[in-house]
Amino acid sequence: MLNHENVVVKTSAWWRPVLKAPVARRTWAATLYMVVGLPLALVGCFFAVASLVLGAGLAVTFVGLPLLALGGLAARRLGAAHRALARVLLDERVAAPPRFEWTGGFFGWLQAALKDGPSWRARAYLLVKLPVAIVTFYLTVLFWVQGLVWLTYPIWWQLSGPGRVPEDLLLDVRVLIFRGGSYDGRFEPHQYTIRLTDNSYLDTWPRVLLVSLAGIVCVLAAPWVVRAVTPLERALVRGLLGPATGPARVRELETARAQVVEDSASTLRRIERDLHDGTQAQLATLAMTLGQAKEKLEHRPDVPFDPDGALGLIDTAHRHAKEALVELRDIARGIHPPALDVGLDAALSTLVTRSAVPTVLNSDIPIRPAKAIEAIAYFSVAELLANVAKHSQARHAIVDALGGGGMLRLRVSDDGVGGALPGGGSGLLGLADRVRAVDGHLDIASPPGGPTVVSVRLPLHT
Amino acid sequence: MRVVIAEDAAIFRDGLVRLLEDRGHAVVAAVADGDALVAAVAEHRPDVAVVDVRMPPTHTDEGLRAAIAVREAHSDVGVLVFSQYIETRYAARLLSANSAGVGYLLKDRVADTSDFVDALTRVAAGGTALDPEVVSQLLAASNRTIETTLTRRENEVLALMAEGRSNAAISQALVIGEGAVEKHVANIFAKLDLPVSHEDNRRVLAVLRYLQP
Repeated sequence: MLNHENVVVKTSAWWRPVLKAPVARRTWAATLYMVVGLPLALVGCFFAVASLVLGAGLAVTFVGLPLLALGGLAARRLGAAHRALARVLLDERVAAPPRFEWTGGFFGWLQAALKDGPSWRARAYLLVKLPVAIVTFYLTVLFWVQGLVWLTYPIWWQLSGPGRVPEDLLLDVRVLIFRGGSYDGRFEPHQYTIRLTDNSYLDTWPRVLLVSLAGIVCVLAAPWVVRAVTPLERALVRGLLGPATGPARVRELETARAQVVEDSASTLRRIERDLHDGTQAQLATLAMTLGQAKEKLEHRPDVPFDPDGALGLIDTAHRHAKEALVELRDIARGIHPPALDVGLDAALSTLVTRSAVPTVLNSDIPIRPAKAIEAIAYFSVAELLANVAKHSQARHAIVDALGGGGMLRLRVSDDGVGGALPGGGSGLLGLADRVRAVDGHLDIASPPGGPTVVSVRLPLHT
Repeated sequence: MRVVIAEDAAIFRDGLVRLLEDRGHAVVAAVADGDALVAAVAEHRPDVAVVDVRMPPTHTDEGLRAAIAVREAHSDVGVLVFSQYIETRYAARLLSANSAGVGYLLKDRVADTSDFVDALTRVAAGGTALDPEVVSQLLAASNRTIETTLTRRENEVLALMAEGRSNAAISQALVIGEGAVEKHVANIFAKLDLPVSHEDNRRVLAVLRYLQP
């Protein structure tokens, strides 16, 4: 909701973004992405080529195909590193492709690995990434370094009066970055001077300041150059490291469906287990206790008449009946929380009040999500809060549930010890699968030492 | 009667202990899984063990496997297996070795406490106690082979024998004279081609024939 009294209409001057861009976090993150990207791309490309050549070359021998398969799975890992880099530095949130899964021993593994689409696409990424990285790295570094050096040219020029700057340092700088200029060694008194043509040097103050101005333009332009080339990098990550499209997407949906089916089967198993170990045992005990009590009142030849004993047993049975009711209510809630019929925020606030760790709920869900999404959201938060209580040693937790832009964003954060990993019995993998089954996304940030923030994004409607 | 109980649901286990001790029996051990059962039986040599089919760690049939292990190691210890539902194959596995001193009952049967204690006593004494549900399911499974040879009445008598009832109890249940029951039993032995030996052993064998088509 907008608070109109506080809204100030800003007529931002055109130069404001231009001046801000060089120091913006986004600019530097993207620049860092290009700089780090090149060595990573070099390693990746070398690896991809080597594993392909080696695997294919040895294909006639026993080790060739397994090598090829291993290379693919390793490419997946490298792809994941690139994906993480893009997420952190470019804020490009690309969902991970489905996990690699196989059945049936070594040959099952081999076949699945060789046919694994995400592995091949990760390889393609590693191969294409290198030329792209070279171009983006070159453009990025050229504009920044050239700009900064030109900008500071007056200082260099002034400092490099005779004998002020060691000759070899200057040579190094010149060789590395002064692609347009050169130094013939004969020029005095300034050793460090850009030469335009054979006889023309930028060696007077107006000319030197002009170079500096060109440097300023370069530095101001650099962010826009960086921003201009990032879409290429983003598209590459999205296209080759994310979930597939077309026929591959169909396969992925099939996997997701299988996971959902498996998931609901295991939910049914869990409910059956709860009913078997809990309610059924309680009711059987209840029946046994009542039967025992009845016999004490029946004047039977084999059981002595004992009204006091019977009363004690009825008391026990009464207690069992009440416990069974509570248990049944819990099980029913585990199948479908009644509060969900009222709405997701109502259900979440019930959930939050029942959480073992003191938890605050911030929810703003103006449009009601689809029922299936509400249920997934509810059980996700339930599981995440259970994780908080079980593993985090947190003292407080916060649940945010915000709807808008066609998405439902959930976030469960705590002030615990962190170090939450998918797998490790935390159920996070299963949760991620369930979320992905409706094209949602789960994100875990949990450095050792905490805090842990798990974000879940779900479409409002399936 | 000295009893070992293996049941993972604590509430039900405690209830059983209370019931049996109330009836003057000694519960020498009450454990929660199959391995502990085998150990407890070896240690205490009870008259009978009450075993739940589903126990940790897998919650499938570890109770049954432990019960079979107990039967193999100690043929003098009766085993009464308890289940939430009837699984014909479990019953067949349990009875395949030797049906003397074996029982297989639905957990619900504890509601009729006296019947349950009677069944347990029977198993402890080397008899059998099969749940009527088990019997009817096994009857359905073995229909083709036995129904053709036995009359309807003989089938009923055999079913009650399978549950572990005595002739007197069968005559009561079917509302016929005890003499008639004896005649039916003799006919069953003859038709199933059972050798003349101890009456109890022949009853057990009849049940076995009956259960295994």
